[in-house]
Amino acid sequence: MTDAEITVIGAGPSGMVAATTLSKVGYHVEIIEQRETLGGAIYRQPVESAMAGGPAAGSNARWKTIRNAFVKQAIPVRCGTVFLGIDGDGLVLIEDRRKGRVERLRRKGVVVAVGAVEKVYPRTGWHLPGVSTAGGLQVMMKETGRAPEGRVLLAGNGPLLIAVAAQMARLGNPPAALVEAGDPFGHMATGVALLKHPALLQEALLYLMDVYRSRIPWLRGAHVTSIEKEGPALLVRIERKGLEKRMSVDRIGLHDGIRCNDFGLPPETLSSKDAPVVVRAGDCREALGAIAAEADGARAAQRLANILSGSAEASGLDAAINRTRQAQDLLARLFAPIGNVSPLAICSDETILCRCEAKTVGDLRSLCQHLHPMTGREVKLNGRFAMGACQGRFCADNTASLMALMNADSADLPPRAEDLTGRRWPVRPVSIAALTAAANPNTEKPNNEVEQDDAS
Amino acid sequence: MQPRLPSTAIVIGSGIVGASVAYFLARRGIAVRLIEAVSPAAEATGAADGAVSVASKKPGPMMQAALKGVALFGELADEGLLAGAFKRRSTFIVAASEDECAVLEAHASALAGAGVRVDTLDGKTLRARFCALSPGARMAIEVHGEGHAIGYQVVHRLLTAANVKVSRNTSVQELMLDTNGQRITKVTTSRGDARADIVVLAAGNGSAGLLGLRDILRPRKGQLLITERAPALNAAMPGAIMSGRYLLSKGSQTSAKAAPGRGLGLVIDPLVTGQFLIGGTREDFGDRSTNDIDAVSQILRDAVALVPGLASLRLLRSFAGVRTAVVDGLPLVGRIPGTENGFVATGFEGDGICLGPVMGKSIVQMICGEPTDVDLSVFDPSRFVLSGALQ
Ligand SMILES: Cc1cc2nc3c(=O)[nH]c(=O)nc-3n(C[C@H](O)[C@H](O)[C@H](O)COP(=O)(O)OP(=O)(O)OC[C@H]3O[C@@H](n4cnc5c(N)ncnc54)[C@H](O)[C@@H]3O)c2cc1C
Repeated sequence: MTDAEITVIGAGPSGMVAATTLSKVGYHVEIIEQRETLGGAIYRQPVESAMAGGPAAGSNARWKTIRNAFVKQAIPVRCGTVFLGIDGDGLVLIEDRRKGRVERLRRKGVVVAVGAVEKVYPRTGWHLPGVSTAGGLQVMMKETGRAPEGRVLLAGNGPLLIAVAAQMARLGNPPAALVEAGDPFGHMATGVALLKHPALLQEALLYLMDVYRSRIPWLRGAHVTSIEKEGPALLVRIERKGLEKRMSVDRIGLHDGIRCNDFGLPPETLSSKDAPVVVRAGDCREALGAIAAEADGARAAQRLANILSGSAEASGLDAAINRTRQAQDLLARLFAPIGNVSPLAICSDETILCRCEAKTVGDLRSLCQHLHPMTGREVKLNGRFAMGACQGRFCADNTASLMALMNADSADLPPRAEDLTGRRWPVRPVSIAALTAAANPNTEKPNNEVEQDDAS
Repeated sequence: MQPRLPSTAIVIGSGIVGASVAYFLARRGIAVRLIEAVSPAAEATGAADGAVSVASKKPGPMMQAALKGVALFGELADEGLLAGAFKRRSTFIVAASEDECAVLEAHASALAGAGVRVDTLDGKTLRARFCALSPGARMAIEVHGEGHAIGYQVVHRLLTAANVKVSRNTSVQELMLDTNGQRITKVTTSRGDARADIVVLAAGNGSAGLLGLRDILRPRKGQLLITERAPALNAAMPGAIMSGRYLLSKGSQTSAKAAPGRGLGLVIDPLVTGQFLIGGTREDFGDRSTNDIDAVSQILRDAVALVPGLASLRLLRSFAGVRTAVVDGLPLVGRIPGTENGFVATGFEGDGICLGPVMGKSIVQMICGEPTDVDLSVFDPSRFVLSGALQ
């Protein structure tokens, strides 16, 4: 077997399409995937909104098309394998968890297609047992074929909540309520513009019908202000138009949108002497859902092929992406939170921000009370935000946004999540035993001892 | 003659050295402006191991300075400033071969001769004390009274306690002299000029350009690793482990075909968080802030050979920092030659965490015309000819 020239990371629609496209134009491609199956979030575990991605009915057909084209190219697949990053010498590092070893790959190109993650804002009590993400509940339903039991509250922002509510209803346990920060009915003109996206509209209406048929209370312009333990149950306070409503539930699914899963990933590098060319594809470049991800996989593959062959960049591939972006913009406007207050601005000091290290909003506030606003990196180091085992996946975004709010009058650029997470490998915690097996006897430099008489 | 005390000062660079200088100046009521190209602890100080240690020192001025450095950390911890930020622990230098044992025994008596409390532990005693160690460890010396401090934490404590104003993202471009070439009249920065009675340069690798010292100061990169938390294994380590290998003399180990300029010395430090800090390399080449798999896997193989339990943990982070080394191995601390009001404190290579506070304190004593805690005469920058250093 010829050694691969290009490694594609992530076997969702964008990664599979990218790999297929590159293989068709003659590159030796391999694909790695951390899970045991292909398909990515949408075709295996629909963490992203099916609405954001496209019509549910058509999704089976789309998946078959992607898979068949992929299978035809006979592209080597390595499941159970995690991307760790690109090291200082330009080597692509992967951890093969089945074999328990880290491998170093010399590649011409890398397509990073690792998808999106759910965004969840902190709320008082959001760390309590029984609270998960709405997408997490969706995965559970997909895996078990059953709805979560007991009284379930779905809360947050965006169309995915409706999709999850509808799926729960179909499986026989509709949620106790749906708390939505926006009010899609308050934007008639935007709603009308959705007519240009009939597939999306049709899907939305199907879900909404399920919600209405099951009489699920849909509290729009509302948000969860706190969650407390109340015996075996959870007491939720919901604020709507200045009034407080309380509910007692067993489980809560939170969701405030999706964002790129780009934590710690190497940036796109378009030309480099010793390191591979890196391009991003799909939701980890721009979180637009499955249909755009497919188109973006082809676009990224074309771009990489062009760079590697030194030819000019082709155009005309971005129509589907633009169209989805327009639809997403419409949805975002439709679901724009009422009142325009950042959910972060109303967090109490006791609210946990970083779960790994149990750091609170108050901890951040006291750090940010300095004469001069601290940088993201200082907040990370001194406050231990984004320093835990999740490496900032849960808190870096929220911490950066909160810092921006707290230092609103600062002249400096607002901090970004990546100021906290940095861009270092390993992008995931990695087994030390696997790393010690990463030795490559052929390239291993002999160990050179130099005299060292200071501390380190 | 007692010099007139300055009332205002500019400190350039907010690593541990600049922050210490600023702290000790501010404590005397001198108004300090700390000018920092990036943010506090952005460079070496934020990427250091943090051993506050004399264990690997040979008798001489650096050992004397390190002893004072360790003592000052203890004092600052006791008085509260560094409470909880200085972990007291022993350093165990471990020998795994016949050669290393011999070198270690000689080293132990040198340390003892300098007044350091050292115990020699034979293999059996060692494993009883230190059950996490591999049977390959033949003997060790325990150097008492040492500790560990995290550079960025120390900087944060110092700056917060002294309420020092830090101008972040402000890079000093030039030190401007008067017509006699004796006084620094102002410093130009990326955000305008700044003036003060005195200027202290503590800019680490940034100092070379400002003083025209590129041949004298050298960057020396180091890579470090952090594991996830492992409280049980951590508790089974009564101190830091240092491999005795690098005490062996240079010539006996360097193979002819070795890659130039990369050294590996192994230190495993159990942190208060339950994590382990594992280091590190010493490199005269390479991109300043990257980690490479060759170094990382080699460091980890060495670490696992000494503490096998580490193999079952996960690596959480890798990072790299660049030390500032001086060609003759001694830091530059003192007056900028030829100037009345310019001072420099840099070039601490791999010892700046240990030495930062005590050197900061000493140079402030020098500025104020007092006897200094550390004898600074051997570190006087005038030992180098500053060729066209200041215009
Ligand atoms: C991997 C590694 C391990 C280490 N381990 C230990 C150890 O175990 N024990 C120990 O004692 N020491 C250790 N050290 C050494 C220690 O980190 C350094 O000696 C010490 O941090 C140096 O501090 P500094 O303040 O002189 O320099 P730095 O921390 O480098 O600070 C210099 C500051 O100046 C700023 N600056 C530069 N140029 C300009 C400019 N023109 N204008 C404004 N600002 C500027 C920089 O941004 C930086 O913040 C280690 C170092 C490394 C890299």
